[in-house]
Amino acid sequence: MGDIWYSDEDLSNMMKTNSFRLYLWFALIFGGSIVLPLVVGVFWIHVLTEILILGLFAMSFNLLFGYMGQLSFGQAAYYGLGAYATAMMITKTSIPFPLCIIASILIAGICALIFGYFCVRLVGIYFAILTMAFGQLVYYIIFQWYEFTGGDNGIQGIPCPMLLRNAYSYYYFALIIVTIAIILMWRIINSSFGYTMRAIRDNCNRTRFIGINVEKHMLINFVIAGMFAGLAGSLWAPFNRSVSPDLANWTHSGIPVFMTIMGGPSNFFGPLIGSVVYTILFTSVIGFTEYWPLIMGTIIILMVLFFRGGIVEIFNKKTGQIDMNGSRKEGIFIQNGLRDSATNKGAE
Amino acid sequence: MTGNQIIGQILSGVSRGMMLFLISSGLTLIFSVMNILNFAHASFWLLGAYFTWTFWKILYSPIFGLWASIPLAALTIGAIGWIIEVILIRRIYDRTLTEQLLLTYALVLIIGDLIKLTWGVADRIVPKPKMLSGLVNVFGSPFPVYYILVISLAGFVALGLWWLLYKTRFGRRVKASVFSREMVGALGIPIHRIYTGVFVLSLIIAGLAGGVQAPISSVTLGMDMSIIVECFCVMVIGGFGSLIGALVGSLIVSLVYAFAIMVVPKMALVLIFIVTAIVLIIRPWGIFGTAMRT
Repeated sequence: MGDIWYSDEDLSNMMKTNSFRLYLWFALIFGGSIVLPLVVGVFWIHVLTEILILGLFAMSFNLLFGYMGQLSFGQAAYYGLGAYATAMMITKTSIPFPLCIIASILIAGICALIFGYFCVRLVGIYFAILTMAFGQLVYYIIFQWYEFTGGDNGIQGIPCPMLLRNAYSYYYFALIIVTIAIILMWRIINSSFGYTMRAIRDNCNRTRFIGINVEKHMLINFVIAGMFAGLAGSLWAPFNRSVSPDLANWTHSGIPVFMTIMGGPSNFFGPLIGSVVYTILFTSVIGFTEYWPLIMGTIIILMVLFFRGGIVEIFNKKTGQIDMNGSRKEGIFIQNGLRDSATNKGAE
Repeated sequence: MTGNQIIGQILSGVSRGMMLFLISSGLTLIFSVMNILNFAHASFWLLGAYFTWTFWKILYSPIFGLWASIPLAALTIGAIGWIIEVILIRRIYDRTLTEQLLLTYALVLIIGDLIKLTWGVADRIVPKPKMLSGLVNVFGSPFPVYYILVISLAGFVALGLWWLLYKTRFGRRVKASVFSREMVGALGIPIHRIYTGVFVLSLIIAGLAGGVQAPISSVTLGMDMSIIVECFCVMVIGGFGSLIGALVGSLIVSLVYAFAIMVVPKMALVLIFIVTAIVLIIRPWGIFGTAMRT
């Protein structure tokens, strides 16, 4: 951690200023997102909505990656499940929209519970592969089950509830839901449960020794992450008016990974910042070329090679401030934690 | 289900499995030596198929067209792999799992789009050479002659890898560097050259496999996306970093697929993932893997 030692008083002062600064930022962002639609056109409203939804998706991924230290390459499965559940309930039944969302979250959560039960027993590369295998399971079920899901045609023309048909109203609706979700996540991350997660990430075995049921906690976190991803998907379906099986494909699981790495996994808002950058890039690039993956791939490579720690880290370096979790180097702990727990588990 | 049908399914399963083995052997080699999981491996395989088509088109000779274009394509893929190893992969040896996965994932996206840019979205068809286009009777069920080529190539690659790893100095160095990278480096053996060699070798195998695949089905965009996941399943089932595991895993995956497609056609792909998940749950390190490596 370097050779600078802070006294307790210093630290608590720092935390205070930090949390004050955090609330200020939060208020600023929230205020900005309320005012922004009044200034920009309809096109950018769509972009903003997309940023919110994908940001929530990426933040759900970061619950596993940043706070539990496990890389999931199948997060799109829960996103796709949420999207399909909502899409099918809206088109095939007359369940009111808010209930559809809640039901979709539950469906994604139940699936995360079943899959997660097996996933949390593994770590490191095995965790990544098993989440991916389960993700592909969901993808191929959606893809093959023509009678039920429409197969590779997906579901088109999902009617949006009357009240939300306007781009502006859907944006504000998404803003409210995503804000609530973010506040919930913030509460979870800063609860004792959240600190248990960090302990598991930093050293799985030591956490076990102090009497914590590691698998159970990881499973709960997995389910929570799945539910938030399901919520994001559920918001996506009526916004996009159509869903396709690709939402659950493994290539789609790469997007939250990319956003999180880009924004910075050590920061609570990192994935959201990644989502802002990703979505704006996507929107501006797709305007003049269809070869978005080529550009995105190039950006990923440049980022991995030259900008480690993400945008947040660059910002922190510039201002020299301690980040919101009270530690600058958390990103490195994540990596060590991943390696440590991987070897620990393997040696058991 | 008659006896003939079962034999037929086993044969087609084995030949599909050999194709999977050709890809996953390289994947396994890269993983066990360099500790990098190469998402883009199947993309190179697909690239090999496209290059085969191009060379076949250029040569346009009915007699040796395909025979010359497959090795040419494989060498091209090897050359591309060499460049990529030197420019990119070399920089991420010591990075975290996430960064390595993300970088190879980026390669998947880039190669996919470059293929689209170069060859367009139309399917490319390479006809089978005349002498390999017929059927033969194997235990009373018809079997495409071409698949014999696939199976023999896989056998050749398997034997060649075994010979290379166990009978040559290069192989001993490779195995030593799996065991302790620092020690090998300290003995004055250029570790980077070994890594580059392994990477290029794996890509040449992938290119060969792609070239052989080209006449089996039309070459289509996005073929790599689905097969790479199956290769991961192979690696998981066989055990990460085990070549014999890759062989057995390929056979299991393809036989499960071959029989499922006959009994429950819609569940065939799903079943592969169920089998994989079961193996991961019971034996996370796979059938031939050891619990040590993560």
